Amino acid sequence: MKKVDLSIDFCGVKCENPFFLSSSPVGNHAEMCARAFDAGWGGIVYKTLNIESSFKIVMPSPRLNAYHYNDKRFVGLQNAEQITDRNIADNIEDIKNLKKNYPTKVLVSSIMGFNDDDWRTLAKMSEDAGADMLELNFSCPQMARKDAGHRIGQDFNAVTHFTEVVKKNTNLPVMAKLTPNITDMIPVAQCAKDGGADAIAAINTVRAITDVDINNFTPLPNIHGHSGITGFSGAAVKPIGLRFVSELFNSPTLKLPISAIGGIETWVDALHYLLLGGRTLQVTTAIMRYGYRIVEDLIEGLSDFMIERNILTIDELVGKAAGKLIDPSDFSTRFQVVSQIDENKCIGCGQCFISCQDGGNQAIKFDSETRKAEVDESRCVGCLLCKHVCPVWDCVSHKEVDTQSEKHAAIF
Amino acid sequence: MKNPILKENIERFESMRHPLSLQAGIKEANRCLLCYDAPCSKACPAGTDPGKFIRQIKFLNFKGAARTIRNNNVLGSVCALICPVEKLCEEQCSALALEDPINIGGLQRFATEYGKHNNLEKNQPGKRTKAKVAIIGAGPAGLSCAAELAKRDYQITVFEKEQKAGGMPAITIPEFRLNQDALNYDIQNVMDLGVEIQFGASISCKEHIEKLKNDGFEAIFIASGLTKALKLPLLNNYQNALSYIQFLSEVKNGQLNIDVENKTVAVIGGGSVAVDSANTAKALGAKKVYLISLESLSELPADDEEVRLAQIMNIVFKSSTQITGIENANNEIIALAGQEVEWETPGNYSPSNAVLVNHTQFKIPVDIVVTAIGTAVADELPKVFEGLQTGAKNCVVANNQFQTNIPGVYAGGDVVNGGATAVEAVSHGKEAADEIDRFCSISGK
Ligand SMILES: Cc1cc2nc3c(=O)[nH]c(=O)nc-3n(C[C@H](O)[C@H](O)[C@H](O)COP(=O)(O)OP(=O)(O)OC[C@H]3O[C@@H](n4cnc5c(N)ncnc54)[C@H](O)[C@@H]3O)c2cc1C
Ligand SMILES: Cc1cc2nc3c(=O)[nH]c(=O)nc-3n(C[C@H](O)[C@H](O)[C@H](O)COP(=O)(O)O)c2cc1C
Ligand code: SF4
Ligand code: SF4
Ligand code: SF4
Repeated sequence: MKKVDLSIDFCGVKCENPFFLSSSPVGNHAEMCARAFDAGWGGIVYKTLNIESSFKIVMPSPRLNAYHYNDKRFVGLQNAEQITDRNIADNIEDIKNLKKNYPTKVLVSSIMGFNDDDWRTLAKMSEDAGADMLELNFSCPQMARKDAGHRIGQDFNAVTHFTEVVKKNTNLPVMAKLTPNITDMIPVAQCAKDGGADAIAAINTVRAITDVDINNFTPLPNIHGHSGITGFSGAAVKPIGLRFVSELFNSPTLKLPISAIGGIETWVDALHYLLLGGRTLQVTTAIMRYGYRIVEDLIEGLSDFMIERNILTIDELVGKAAGKLIDPSDFSTRFQVVSQIDENKCIGCGQCFISCQDGGNQAIKFDSETRKAEVDESRCVGCLLCKHVCPVWDCVSHKEVDTQSEKHAAIF
Repeated sequence: MKNPILKENIERFESMRHPLSLQAGIKEANRCLLCYDAPCSKACPAGTDPGKFIRQIKFLNFKGAARTIRNNNVLGSVCALICPVEKLCEEQCSALALEDPINIGGLQRFATEYGKHNNLEKNQPGKRTKAKVAIIGAGPAGLSCAAELAKRDYQITVFEKEQKAGGMPAITIPEFRLNQDALNYDIQNVMDLGVEIQFGASISCKEHIEKLKNDGFEAIFIASGLTKALKLPLLNNYQNALSYIQFLSEVKNGQLNIDVENKTVAVIGGGSVAVDSANTAKALGAKKVYLISLESLSELPADDEEVRLAQIMNIVFKSSTQITGIENANNEIIALAGQEVEWETPGNYSPSNAVLVNHTQFKIPVDIVVTAIGTAVADELPKVFEGLQTGAKNCVVANNQFQTNIPGVYAGGDVVNGGATAVEAVSHGKEAADEIDRFCSISGK
């Protein structure tokens, strides 16, 4: 059997595979991290460190609310958690022991300070404890003080400044973890680079509200009668994560390696991020939901895919789809598609008809006698709404029509 | 979520458990709760580990799922089709407390077929550097023991008296329940491990064992199953009375020389084997098929799935009845006489506990009678192995490690438990392999 090599070099750090825990409760202390390493994770970004003498963290309670969609539970997760509430001495001790017991695994220390001194101290302590890399948390959206977390990530000068402070005090490679709660991530990433950052990690959580209790008119999680707009993660944010990662990758000036984060559950999700520019991949919510064990399927599934395609290293995948993203103003309109229904697969539910009637171009004819749907090609504008609503996954396809004209306009 | 069992499929001898499409497989796997310490996995005798392979499907690691099944259960494709899941894994499924259990059999088939159709790499052959071990019988128990030992580099030869491997699943289980493809795939996977199978090689006398010893075999695993169909003395010597083994195996081989079409067939027995025979007769075009059992409908030992199928096939259930006599002409049985029975002591289903109910006599005209009242170990086995300890139905007595009273001789599967399931035979084979490995390692082989 052919063997693929999942290892990858990230800022000079050799990772046995690209799968990391992202900084969060899944990597909260040594015992948890050891189990994650044993399960097969190539690296861990440890839960963001804090110096309690500088700012004491007390977590709000309850701190989570899950986003359910109909019968699909937990498609996303909202959290009101801050950085670690464990004391720095215990955490540093844990990092030391982990590096001692797992010398070939990668341990990234995530840190957050509130002034130059904090950043400096945390960087120094992490390096001394044996961490392989630093991740600067410029992106937690729910710190209990207004001059920290994603507010730093939105303040360009602060990003450059704190990155510089850290870089001056460490020999370790440094990643800046950025917030998606911003219109454009490139300028901030550029500021981090200006400060000396060696890589970008994105995305942290997306500010959101997942639910409102309609009995007492209070958004959830209900933290003693109040709630907040806080970080949202998991499968539901993956499309947003892919956007930011691909933009970072495609930036002609930035050119920094990217540690991709946001909604990764399966090897297919992981592959999407790799293809759009991620070099390493970080996971939290899927682990909170399913446990460390999912790494077996990330590794095995990705390896099998690579073997089938004769792709032998991760490097061959990184960014391979990113170049195909262009500005919508540059789309070709010469080729127009027309929907096609496979009548043998059609089960006659009429969902495509309803959707095309009320949300498309009234191009589907539905025969209530035979209960078959048929496309009126002269009216079809090729939006493919029908394909996306059809309950039979492989029933609706499309063909491409060459209009011979770049300025083709749909015939309404 | 279960597939419907279709009458047409049986009549066409197509698999009655439908394969799941990609869409259906993914949907079903997403229903699984991915339990901690999965109860389904604990309930699988062979350790196939459904909790794991379903998780692998859910995370789109389809080949991984196929590997898990193949590594844990060499008859994984077969078991996916014939395991009585409602008494094993699915009975313990946590989802059952909320809704239908997860269709574990269906997902097992989904995964094995995915592997088969997507070039799952072949098994690597063992190195054949360790001791020689002889295995008698290429049924589920024998194949499973052979595979486990071959993986550990033993030199394995399986001696099989028939011309094909697979044991009862190959010889008797009807095509509509178990398609040949699934069986062939599993057998090929075992052969790929470097297992040698000799066909037409019956081990049937003392001299054969002597020869095995002279040829350097260090251990023997007896997995010869049950080959002797029990008969009702009343039916002896009639040419239209067949045992289920003869009936089902001849149907499978295309060698049945009695015409079943438009005939009336009576099957005597209430177990899976009897129901298989009845359904097969109906599928071959029998006009009417009776299933005559001492047990009442709810007491039938046959699996639910088969009984449901028999209902769909319009089998006439003569439950709680006993055959009391026959009418014959020209050496053929032309009618069966019977009477209803009740159990003297409730819950004791032995024939001696059945009492006839007055005024319930009946007579049914028949063209063919198939008996399926039980099977025993071949009479010659104790003679093949001098001093081998046997018990009821001639079954070999083995301890929890599948050791017989003769050192170096092990036994498992139906030949030990008197007839159970393929998956249990697989588990015996696996566990016996552990013990044989230990035995050979200690003696430095
Ligand atoms: C009709 C029928 C339906 C069944 N349905 C199901 C079902 O739905 N689900 C299920 O799980 N189980 C079912 N079973 C039971 C299942 O088939 C058996 O439990 C299982 O096959 C036992 O495996 P084994 O390896 O112990 O023996 P067998 O499968 O009986 O294999 C024994 C092998 O040894 C060979 N052999 C015998 N004597 C010798 C000898 N002297 N020398 C060399 N070779 C020899 C035989 O030819 C045979 O190939 C069914 C059985 C029958 C008969
Ligand atoms: C409960 C919770 C706590 C988190 N804590 C941190 C943290 O301390 N530091 C940090 O950089 N990111 C933190 N994150 C963000 C995650 O690391 C990650 O960026 C985000 O959840 C998106 O990835 P996911 O969809 O795989 O969860 C946290 C996320 C969650 C859900
Ligand atoms: S998941 Fe564990 S820690 Fe969290 S609320 Fe439930 S019991 Fe408590
Ligand atoms: S939605 Fe799909 S299945 Fe339903 S009518 Fe349309 S084409 Fe047929
Ligand atoms: S017991 Fe049922 S729900 Fe739980 S893991 Fe097994 S199949 Fe899934």
